[in-house]
Amino acid sequence: MSLYSYLRSGAERVFRPAAIGDEMDEELAVHLALRADDLERSGLPRAEAERRARIEFGARERYREECKDAKGGTSLVTVFHDLRFGLRMIRSHGWFSPAVIVTLALGIGLNTMVFTLINAALFKPVPLPGGARLVAVASRTPGNGDDLLSYPDLVDYRAQAHSFAALEAASIEQGVLGEPGNPPQVYHLARTTTGVFSMVQMHPVMGRDFLSSDSSSGAASVVMIGYDLWQNRYAASSAVIGRHVRVNGHPATIIGVMPKGFKFPTAIDLWMPLVPTPDDLRRDNRELQVFGLLKPGVQPSAAQAELAGIAQRLATEYPDSDKNFAALAMSFNERYNGGGIKTVFLLMLGSVGFVLLIACANVANMMLSRGIMRQREMSIRAALGASRWRVMRQLLMESVLLSVMGGALGLALAAAGVRWFDLATADVGRPYWVQFTMDYTVFGYFAALCILTGLLFGTLPAWRASRPNLNQVLQEGGRGVGYHRDGKLAGVLVVFQFALTLVLLTGAGVFVHSLLKTLDSNREVPSRQLMVAGLKLPEDRYKDIAARVRFYDQLLPRLRALPGVTSAALASNPPGLGSAENPAEIENQPASDPAHRPVVSYVTASPGYFETIHLPLLLGRDFSASDGDRNHRAAIVTRETAQRFWPGQQALGKRFCLFDDKGNRGDWITVVGVVANLEQDLTEQNPKPLLFVPIQQEDWDGTSLVVASDANPTAEVRGAVQSLDEDLPLHDVYILNQAVEHQTWYLRLFSRLFMGFALIALVMAAVGIYAVLAQAAGRRTQEIGIRIALGASLRSIMLLVMRRGIRQIAIGLALGMAAAFPVARLMASLPIGVSPTDPEVFIAVATLLVLVGLVACWLPARRAAGLDPVRAIRYE
Amino acid sequence: MGDQAQILPGTLDVLILKAVSLGALHGYGILLRIAQISGSSLLIEQGALYPALFRLVRQGLLKASWGTSENNRRAKFYELTAAGRKRLHSEIEGWNRLAKAMAAALSARQEEI
Repeated sequence: MSLYSYLRSGAERVFRPAAIGDEMDEELAVHLALRADDLERSGLPRAEAERRARIEFGARERYREECKDAKGGTSLVTVFHDLRFGLRMIRSHGWFSPAVIVTLALGIGLNTMVFTLINAALFKPVPLPGGARLVAVASRTPGNGDDLLSYPDLVDYRAQAHSFAALEAASIEQGVLGEPGNPPQVYHLARTTTGVFSMVQMHPVMGRDFLSSDSSSGAASVVMIGYDLWQNRYAASSAVIGRHVRVNGHPATIIGVMPKGFKFPTAIDLWMPLVPTPDDLRRDNRELQVFGLLKPGVQPSAAQAELAGIAQRLATEYPDSDKNFAALAMSFNERYNGGGIKTVFLLMLGSVGFVLLIACANVANMMLSRGIMRQREMSIRAALGASRWRVMRQLLMESVLLSVMGGALGLALAAAGVRWFDLATADVGRPYWVQFTMDYTVFGYFAALCILTGLLFGTLPAWRASRPNLNQVLQEGGRGVGYHRDGKLAGVLVVFQFALTLVLLTGAGVFVHSLLKTLDSNREVPSRQLMVAGLKLPEDRYKDIAARVRFYDQLLPRLRALPGVTSAALASNPPGLGSAENPAEIENQPASDPAHRPVVSYVTASPGYFETIHLPLLLGRDFSASDGDRNHRAAIVTRETAQRFWPGQQALGKRFCLFDDKGNRGDWITVVGVVANLEQDLTEQNPKPLLFVPIQQEDWDGTSLVVASDANPTAEVRGAVQSLDEDLPLHDVYILNQAVEHQTWYLRLFSRLFMGFALIALVMAAVGIYAVLAQAAGRRTQEIGIRIALGASLRSIMLLVMRRGIRQIAIGLALGMAAAFPVARLMASLPIGVSPTDPEVFIAVATLLVLVGLVACWLPARRAAGLDPVRAIRYE
Repeated sequence: MGDQAQILPGTLDVLILKAVSLGALHGYGILLRIAQISGSSLLIEQGALYPALFRLVRQGLLKASWGTSENNRRAKFYELTAAGRKRLHSEIEGWNRLAKAMAAALSARQEEI
């Protein structure tokens, strides 16, 4: 029989069962009538003839059923029947179904959400033409991670590698775009090789592409602008093509506008051709991010092998610069979303996996306890000859139906969650091509998840329920049978839930603990009244530190004179926003081995900085204008640093020196003051000893303004800066507390996420233990009534009900702790900025869990203790 | 009834096909026809006919339509389809071969070996 006729017959039987039955009955009736006619003709009375005809026909019902089967479409029909019956059961179970559906919606929704995020951040190719063939090429040195390549490297790889259809590079820096009559602004600038746009088959929506001649030395300087920049800075004017602007002070001409949303390779607004300078041509000057488009059919591993071979040849040819350098071809996701981000995402996946397991355990528990109530139904069905498989299939169908309904709700939750995550991370420098949207992969995962979930929580209860002990159940009216057995299973599931919840709570606790620690730091700093902004003085206009200090000396009085401003100062990094780190040597305490020199973190500061940030000066004096020159190298250390390096001694007047990045020893520096402690690196697990040096002591080309004011002085500060140099933009402009928030965004984000996961798990576990105890107490209503009637005390009744729950909580707690310690240790060891866990986190988490668990046990116990014995004994 | 034989499993289908091949019949008519052509020597329980009929329709060997019987009752008439006719021929050939082989085997005598 063809599939079509099978389906048609099945569909007919599904949708018009009555019509089929009628036609068949009519045919059989005609048969009986015809036979009776014959018998009547042979002389029997009509009534007798009809009776004989029915006898001769045989077991009419059986043949009817056989006819139905013979007509085909049966398995489709039973599936449909199971489905309809399942729906009817789901509708008819009051609170049960909504509880299951909400539980599953949370479990499935969270998993779908996290999978969407992971898929986007770790697996999806870059959404550009040929994106699946796009790879990032990086150099790798032992112990140093993935890094950049030099221009001569690129030239060699281009000449020797045959796996690539194109190899292009970009060097990313800050670009200040300025022109007369338009205030300068800082953008992300990529200096790229000229083929980068055609490699990804993207072309300007207006104007022209880069030409290879644009990169030859002496060519007129040109710049390509991004769509958003065009919209915001130039109001989408078409006259922008050919406009003369300054980029970092150099004249250039805008030649085109890239399409909307294009910010290749990461978050770029401005592109200029890379014109290699003599400095760029040094082999050890590695500043390029390199991207390759694999030729069709070439596997990344083959390209990788080829690059490795070339890197080896280069290492032999140029041992001075290329020794120990390997080259890697990897996906964009590996290159830009590896390391810490990957770990956090996998942690998230693990967490929501736990939540789903808890949800399944919970639902399985509900199904189990309902299975006991339905034992009579199952027994009757089994006694009527339903096979075990048929009963199980029916029950599994119900489970999968429930999980699909939960999934539909979960999908809405997931969509909302993904949207929220997308907005929460819009501003934290994630590559523009990581787009958190749902796609077919996600839906496939989602569908599989729904069905698997249904099977996961449905199989065990269905297996149990489909094997009732027929005689016992039917004789005893289904009361109490299987209670002990299923009670044990439910207990195991509750223990398992509590253990998992504890692990999740610990994970969340670690994040929240780290977050609270950062929020609690630097309380004395009035971060809501401090405006901070970055300032970068370009080298071509401010040749040396003296020129820069002259600028600062002009600027600071103007800032202090602004209305509402109470004080203003300069620091390389405002409080909590990082520092520079270098090894140091304390006078008279030389390290035995250069590798063991203590590393200090240091910040440059202008006079008046400590006053501005309200950091008390404990000893000595603030910096003065004469500090910092060759003969007056000075430093102010924190109290902690002073105690660390000169324990029990007066730190004032002590000397130390710093080593630069190449290991050269600097001048001796004298400690002139001691300030209170400050936490400068909020995300650092092991902060280094902190000290401050005068701003003129380090030859750095930028600084941050720190301005204390009652109102937000941003506009006035910008005006003051640009009254001195109209090409000088402010960057990273914040009120300090916002800057700190921005700095610790991921702690906030993941604290919220993991807290959410853990709380959902906690609620589920609480509901789970409540449901199990309430069920158990409900089944013992008569017994409890008798006990009360016989004079049992309130306490002993409560204990009777709660005892089991308390034991389960205790076991769950023990198992959970055993798992939570390694998890916390693992998290602290990962490079994700969480601090090592204190015992208080475990104590807090365990207390919370026990309290919630006890309340969940207490509720059914109280109800049992309040039973009216007369009604309880009659309870059926 | 002693001279009636229970039909072999699987033979009902071919008997139905044969009966119908001689002209469209309703269910009861098919039973009568089988009784007639087999000389009333094959016993079929009347109800068992119908599952077989439904099965043959499903397999596309028979087609059914409603009509009026000789004594003016509305009844469902069955007739062979082309596929049914083909099937009947192959079944007949198979039966004849089997019957011949069985007959030869069962009539074998000592001296022929």
